[in-house]
Amino acid sequence: MPPKSKTQQRILVIVLVLIGLLITIFFGMRALHALRRFNGHHPPPPGKVETDVELIRDWMTVPFISRMYRVPDEVIFDALGIPPKNNRDKSLVDLNREYYPDTDGFVIEQVKSAILAHQPAPQPASAPTAISAPSVPAP
Amino acid sequence: MSEFLLTQVINYGNPLIGLILFLGALGLPIGASVVVIAAGAFGQQGILNWPTAALIGLAGALLGDTLSFGMGYYAKDAVQNRFGKSPAWRSARVSFQQRAGAAIFLTRWLVTALAIPTNLIAGGSGYKFSRFMIYDIAGETLWIGLYGGLGYLFGSQWELVYDFTTNFGGLILGLVIFGFGLRQALNWQKQNRTRRNQKAEA
Repeated sequence: MPPKSKTQQRILVIVLVLIGLLITIFFGMRALHALRRFNGHHPPPPGKVETDVELIRDWMTVPFISRMYRVPDEVIFDALGIPPKNNRDKSLVDLNREYYPDTDGFVIEQVKSAILAHQPAPQPASAPTAISAPSVPAP
Repeated sequence: MSEFLLTQVINYGNPLIGLILFLGALGLPIGASVVVIAAGAFGQQGILNWPTAALIGLAGALLGDTLSFGMGYYAKDAVQNRFGKSPAWRSARVSFQQRAGAAIFLTRWLVTALAIPTNLIAGGSGYKFSRFMIYDIAGETLWIGLYGGLGYLFGSQWELVYDFTTNFGGLILGLVIFGFGLRQALNWQKQNRTRRNQKAEA
């Protein structure tokens, strides 16, 4: 083997070891962090209706959220002030872009409020907490 | 990209899952794993019929793997002409043939980043297609069953599963690269020692 090629191969192996080590450390730390978060959560019992509105994401559509939280989609469309027709397939971010281009994140916040307002109070004996929906800017 | 695909999976369902897994198996970085985990969760939420989603997804992934194996197979002559005389290529070919089964199986679900190179090498090194398919079906079934199953189990909290599996996959990839480099370094050390001993004996 010519010395130059041997040196090049040595450099390649050293680079491989270093890159491997860096990737291992980087993803190892992230995996550990993810595992910690993972351990803190338990799978929801089957048939449980979702109540945590923080799980709502920009890519979701209104019918999807309606099914996930068992809230009629008309309630959500009403809260948004948007007609359901031609909007069922659109994600929240697309609805926001189309109807409320000047208010970033308005649609997702409005949906969260509508779901919370529609959910039954957690303890029937306690005083009901009123959740005021944010004011709807003109589309 | 993934977010756009998730919206479309909600709208178009199982056929799109098949298409995404097909394109993912061809090497397009479109986030097939996130779709598998999310599809499991959508199955639990009643959005998708999960057995159908799993079958169509598996069919798409197998079709994509077959096609990428075929690409390697038809590029075989060109590769052979270019590297056929190289001892390193011949040794890599022999080495792959010895460990091909494990490589094909593990790159379907554990080190998914190496799935495409593995398919191309398998096709290009003349690995038997029927044997490739056996390991491919086993690995892809485990991938869809494990990732989709975890998505199904965790339902609306599937993002936690995705976060962990992505980083764990990266960790394994890092260990594979590190292990490969270390093995090469140790081989050289061994060769040098043997050469020195031979010189001393002479």
